[in-house]
Amino acid sequence: MDFIALGIPLLPLLSALTILAFLRQRKKAAARLSVAALTLAFLLAAFFLGRHLGGSGDVLMQAPGLWGSLWLDPLSLILWTFVSGISLIVHVYSVRYMVEEPGYPRFFAMLDLMTAVILLMVAAGDLITLVVAWFLVGVVLYFLLGHDATRPAAGRYAFWTQITYRVGDLPLWFAALVLIQSYHSVSLPVIFARIGEHPDVLLWGLPVPELCGFLLALAAFARSAQFLLHTWLPYTMDGPTPVSALMHAGIVNAGGFLFNRFAPLFEHAGWALHWAFAVGLVTAVVGSALMLIQNDIKRSLGYSTMGQMGFMVMECGLGAFPLAVFHLIAHGFFKASLFLGSGGVIGEARQRDGVPPDPVYTSVVERRPIKPSRLPWLVAASLTVLVPVIVIGLSHFFVAERLFYEQGVIILLFFGWVTGAQALFAAHKLSQKDPWRLMSGILVSFVIIVVGYTLISHYFGDFLYPDRSESLRLYEVASIQHLSFDLLALLLALIFVGGWMLTFFRESLDWGRRPGGRWYGLYLGIYALLSRELYVADIYQRASQILLHWSRRFNVWLGWC
Amino acid sequence: MLAAITVFAAFLVPLFPLSWVFNRLLDSLPMTTARALAVLALPQLGLLLLQYGVAPWALTDPQRRALVALAIFTALFYAFRALSARDLFIWTRLNLSAGLAVIWIAWAMGTAIPVLQILALTWSVPAALLTLLSGALAARLGGSYLGLMGNLVEPLPRLTASIVLTVLALLATPVFPSFFVLFGTAMQLPLSWILPLLLLLPLWGWSCGRLFQDLLFGAYRGEAVEDLSLLSSLMVFLVLSGLLVLGLYGSGGVL
Repeated sequence: MDFIALGIPLLPLLSALTILAFLRQRKKAAARLSVAALTLAFLLAAFFLGRHLGGSGDVLMQAPGLWGSLWLDPLSLILWTFVSGISLIVHVYSVRYMVEEPGYPRFFAMLDLMTAVILLMVAAGDLITLVVAWFLVGVVLYFLLGHDATRPAAGRYAFWTQITYRVGDLPLWFAALVLIQSYHSVSLPVIFARIGEHPDVLLWGLPVPELCGFLLALAAFARSAQFLLHTWLPYTMDGPTPVSALMHAGIVNAGGFLFNRFAPLFEHAGWALHWAFAVGLVTAVVGSALMLIQNDIKRSLGYSTMGQMGFMVMECGLGAFPLAVFHLIAHGFFKASLFLGSGGVIGEARQRDGVPPDPVYTSVVERRPIKPSRLPWLVAASLTVLVPVIVIGLSHFFVAERLFYEQGVIILLFFGWVTGAQALFAAHKLSQKDPWRLMSGILVSFVIIVVGYTLISHYFGDFLYPDRSESLRLYEVASIQHLSFDLLALLLALIFVGGWMLTFFRESLDWGRRPGGRWYGLYLGIYALLSRELYVADIYQRASQILLHWSRRFNVWLGWC
Repeated sequence: MLAAITVFAAFLVPLFPLSWVFNRLLDSLPMTTARALAVLALPQLGLLLLQYGVAPWALTDPQRRALVALAIFTALFYAFRALSARDLFIWTRLNLSAGLAVIWIAWAMGTAIPVLQILALTWSVPAALLTLLSGALAARLGGSYLGLMGNLVEPLPRLTASIVLTVLALLATPVFPSFFVLFGTAMQLPLSWILPLLLLLPLWGWSCGRLFQDLLFGAYRGEAVEDLSLLSSLMVFLVLSGLLVLGLYGSGGVL
C-alpha cells in the first residue's frame, strides 16, 4: 500500500517528461495532462494524510541505493497536501492565464517538474536526496522565472535568484557532509537517533549539532529571503504571475520546512536558534519597512513576503516550530490568492473606478465629506493597547495554559499584541460617523481570529509533534537566562508603548515632515536609505563587478589559457 | 622517474600551473572534432600515465595536503576565470579544467585509477559535447562568442536546448554524475578542506547564470539560420540520457 505514495512525486514528473517528449506542439493536451496529474497527486497526498490522521504511523521507504528514500511523517504528509494543493490551483489558473504566452506546454512541463522536485524535497528521507532536491528547486525555478526569454529583466532577476540559491546550497552541503562524517549515515531518522544518543560529538571545539544548526539556518535564510540574502525576492515579479504565486506560496517557505525537518538537531542547537530569532526579527522589521515605502504594488508584495518569512524564521528561533509550519501554510494560501487575484483586480480597476454612475451620489460624496469622528484618546489607548493583550492572553490561557511558562510563547504574544494593537489603532484612525460601531466590529473580528488561530495552531502542533516533550524541549533550548529574558521583555514593552505614543502623537505634532524642522534631516536620511533598499543590492553589484574585473584581468594575463 | 611521470600527468589532467599547457594545447587545435577528441582523450591518457607514477599511498601527509590544496586552488581559480569568459569554447575548457582538478583530490584520497577514469568522463563527456556544440554555433553565427545576440532559442531551439542541458551536466547539476562525483569527493575529504572545495558551487552557479543570460534572454536580431539537425540533437540527447542513467545508477558506487 505504501508504495502508492511514490506516485505523489512521480506523477508530476511523468507528466513533465511526457509533455516535453510528445506534447510540445499540443497545448490543450499538455494542460489537461498536467492538471490531471496534479489532481491525482493531490488526492493521493490527501489520502495518505487522512490515513496518518486515522492512526497509521510514520513510514520510511528505502530506495535500493544509498539515496532516494522517502520519509512519510506528519511534516512531509501535511506539506505534500499543501504543496500539491497550491500547485493544483496554480495549474488550473495557468490553463487560461498563460494560453496566449509562447512556450505554453513547456511552461506546464516546468511547473510539473517544480512540483515534483518540491514534493521530493519535503519527503526526503536521507541527506543526499534532500541536497539533490534542494539544488534542483533552484535550477527549475530559474527556468520558470525566465520563461519569457524576450525580457532581459526576467533573465537578470532569475539569475539573482539562482545565485542566491547557490550560495545557500553551500552551507546545506557542508552541514550534510559534517553530519554524514560525524554520525556515519545518510539516513535522516538514523542521524537524528544518533544525535539524541550522542549530542556532544565535537568538531573544531564546537558540538556538531550546534555547528550544523548554524549551517542549516544559513541555508534556510537564503531560501527564505532573510536580510542580506533577500535581494532576489522582491524582483522575481518579472516571472509569470502563476510562478510568483507558486514561489511566494510554496518555494520561499523552504526555510521553515528545513528548520522543522531538522527539529531533533535544533533541540541541541540553542545558539543557532537565538541567531535565527535575531535574523528573523531584523528581516521582519526591514521587510515590513521596505514594503511600506514601495510605489510598485508587486514589489510591495515581494517585501511583504520577506517580512512574513522573517516572522516565520523568528518563530523557529523562539522554538515554536509547528507554528512556523502553520504560518507558512496560512501565508501560502493568503499570498497565492493575492497573486492570482491581482490580474483580476487590475482589470476590474481599469474598467470600473468603483464610483456609482449617479450624479447625485457623486455630488453628495465629493462636496460633503463625512465629518471626521474619532474616539477620545484615552479610550482609544485603552482599547487598542489593553484589549489585544487580554484577548490573546485569555485565548492562550484556555487552550494551553502551560505554554505561558515558555519564553518563546511570551515573545510571540508580544508580537500578537503589537499586531492586534496596530489593527485596532488603524481602525481607530478611520474617520467614521459611528466610531463605536466600527471599533466593536473590528474587536469581534479580532477575537474570532485570535481564538481560531490559537485553537488551530495548538491542534496543528499536536499533530506535527505528537511527542509533546519534543515541542517543550525546543522551547526550552530556545530560551535564555531568566534575568536577560525579563530585561528583554521590559525593553520590548517600552519600545511598544513608545512606538504607540509616537504613532498617536505624530500627526498632531507634525514631527519630521516639515522642511527645516528639527527631525527633517533624519527623516529624509531614513527615507533615502529605505528608498534605495538599504543599498544592499548596490553593494552586491559593485562587489560582483570587482570580481568580474579581476577574473578578466587574470584571463588576459594568462592568455585565456 | 616516478615523480616526473606524475608531473607529466598533470599536464594532461590539469593542475595549476601546468593546466596552462592543457588549455593552450586545446586552444591550438584547428578543428572542433579534434578539440572534442582531445577533451576526451587527454585526461584519460594522463590517468593512464598516473598509474605508472607515484602511488597515492606513497605520498607523505604534507605532500598529500599540498596536492589537495593545489587541486582545490586549481578548481576554484579556473571556475573563477570562467566567470568572465563569453566564448563558449573558452568557457567550456576553463570549467573542464576546474572539474578535472577534482579528480586529483580523489586520486590523493586513494581512489583507484580505473575508477578515476570513469570519474573523469563525467566532466570530459559533457565538455566534449559542448566543444562540438560551440563548433556548430560558430558555423552558424560566425563565432561561439555569446552576448552579441540574445534569445538564441528563437532561431536555434534544438542547438540552444542542447547547450543548456550539456552546461547543466558539466556544472555538477543533480542528477548528472558530476554532481555525485563532487559530493563523493567532498565526503572523502577531511572536514576542513570541504568548505573551500564547495566554493565551486556558487562559482559554477554564477558562471552558468551569466552564460544563460547571454544565450537565452534578449532579442535575436541576426539572420535566419539553420538549426541543429534532428539526428544530431537526438545524439546529444542520447549521450546526456546515458549520463543521467550513470548518475542515477552509478551514484551508489561513487558515494
